[in-house]
Amino acid sequence: MARLENKIAVVTGGSRGIGRAIVKALVEEGAKVLTCGRGNDPADFPSGVVWQTADVSIPEAVEELSRTVTERFGRVDILVNNAGIQIEKTVPDSSVEDWENLMGINAKGVFLMCREFIPMLAEGGGGSIINIGSISGNHADPAMALYNASKAFVHGLTRSMAVDHGHQGIRCNAICPGWIMTEMADAAFEMAKNPQAAKADALARHPSGRFGRPEDIANAVVWLASNDSDFMTGQTLTIDGGLVSASPLQPTLF
Amino acid sequence: MSTESQQEKQSLSGRIAVVTGGCGGIGTAVCARLAREGAQVYAADLRGGDTIKADEVIFHEHDVSSEESAKFLMAEVERQHGRLDILVNAAGIEIEQTIEETSLEDWNRIFAVNVTGTFLTSKHALPLMRKAGSGSIINFGSYDGFIADPALAAYCATKGAVHALTKAMACDHGAENIRVNAICPGFIDTPMLNSFFGSSGDIESLKNEVRRVHPLKRYGTPEDVAGLVNWLAGDEARYASGQLWILDGGLTAQVQQMRL
Repeated sequence: MARLENKIAVVTGGSRGIGRAIVKALVEEGAKVLTCGRGNDPADFPSGVVWQTADVSIPEAVEELSRTVTERFGRVDILVNNAGIQIEKTVPDSSVEDWENLMGINAKGVFLMCREFIPMLAEGGGGSIINIGSISGNHADPAMALYNASKAFVHGLTRSMAVDHGHQGIRCNAICPGWIMTEMADAAFEMAKNPQAAKADALARHPSGRFGRPEDIANAVVWLASNDSDFMTGQTLTIDGGLVSASPLQPTLF
Repeated sequence: MSTESQQEKQSLSGRIAVVTGGCGGIGTAVCARLAREGAQVYAADLRGGDTIKADEVIFHEHDVSSEESAKFLMAEVERQHGRLDILVNAAGIEIEQTIEETSLEDWNRIFAVNVTGTFLTSKHALPLMRKAGSGSIINFGSYDGFIADPALAAYCATKGAVHALTKAMACDHGAENIRVNAICPGFIDTPMLNSFFGSSGDIESLKNEVRRVHPLKRYGTPEDVAGLVNWLAGDEARYASGQLWILDGGLTAQVQQMRL
């Protein structure tokens, strides 16, 4: 039986990568989904998916999203804040524009979406907010300073909203993906001197023996959206194939 | 040689300290530092008394896994000083095996030293700290109590146990002004580390790789650890208790360093 039959979900950044897998998984479980992104309608979504071009860092665009949800569905049960960008720079290398771009989407966007949709979730008797954080919010990736910090913000906001809105029946959790093979991760390997060797080394550091797939994250989103996780709130779930459980120093790799 | 002004700078003047594993890689440096800060130090270890140089460090033969030995050690400290101010539980061993390879005998042995040893020495130290009116217990956890090195399963488990025990002891004895903390070292240049490398081939190239992975680009030294012990032992740390102090040159602050 579909676990999210007749549930209404909003997913940001749903056009590709992890977001796209989340949209697909929610639809397969019976949910109706509104998703958004800054680009044009990918036009190849499964039926039951509504697309709206929107930049989550712009308050008016977020208000527009909630108007669409009200008109099309009348309520909302699930909010997935997945939209995110990364900028590969240290603090001195980062411009104010970098800060505004990255924090605008990764931090302010999550804030604006939650501010807009929490009243609607509460009105319907509650629901589940799922934010996409990162292992990089707990441990630093080199030369990703603003990205790492933005994800730590997401983790902190997740706990705050769980505490503030639990009494309204709203649960709020974050998922911290490790290395998920998306366009973003491929780009990281392309930067390596020897992309093949870099990939082999990275693989060897995963107790799972493989990188993550967008579906691994989507499956966790479905679980957090469903009643199966009814008592879980305020948590950050790491899904990384064991990467951060292992020591970074493994002499057998050298 | 100590002048008046140097004595004033000593932060542990007149304190009585016991360091288990006091003749080991880290323990030796801890004893030397505490002695330099003015403490009367008992280096409690199975062997190694002949290597002690400082006058203020007294060797006491001690098997941390034996309750008789713990009672005997503390009876001696009580007879000499009537109290104890500082206990450093630095005795520890490691076994380089997965759980499948680990015999029950080996499992019990590493727990006897790393966990039961911390329990027994602390248990019998507490009455002497009560007599002192306060105390600082410093346990040795490890970054391996948070994240795993391959084929060190039992070691990782003992360090996780020490972390939990540290918090429990801090809760139970805080009201008596006995503080309990754990230091969780990363890669410290000790014989134990060399033994860990020894099974992995070309040691020098390994060591360079290891340095490269650390944000501070070097290993820790036993003296680095002794510096934190000194701080936790002294009055500067009077509000610090129940914490796990990771000392690893930034190693575990980062996501795994892929060779990009």
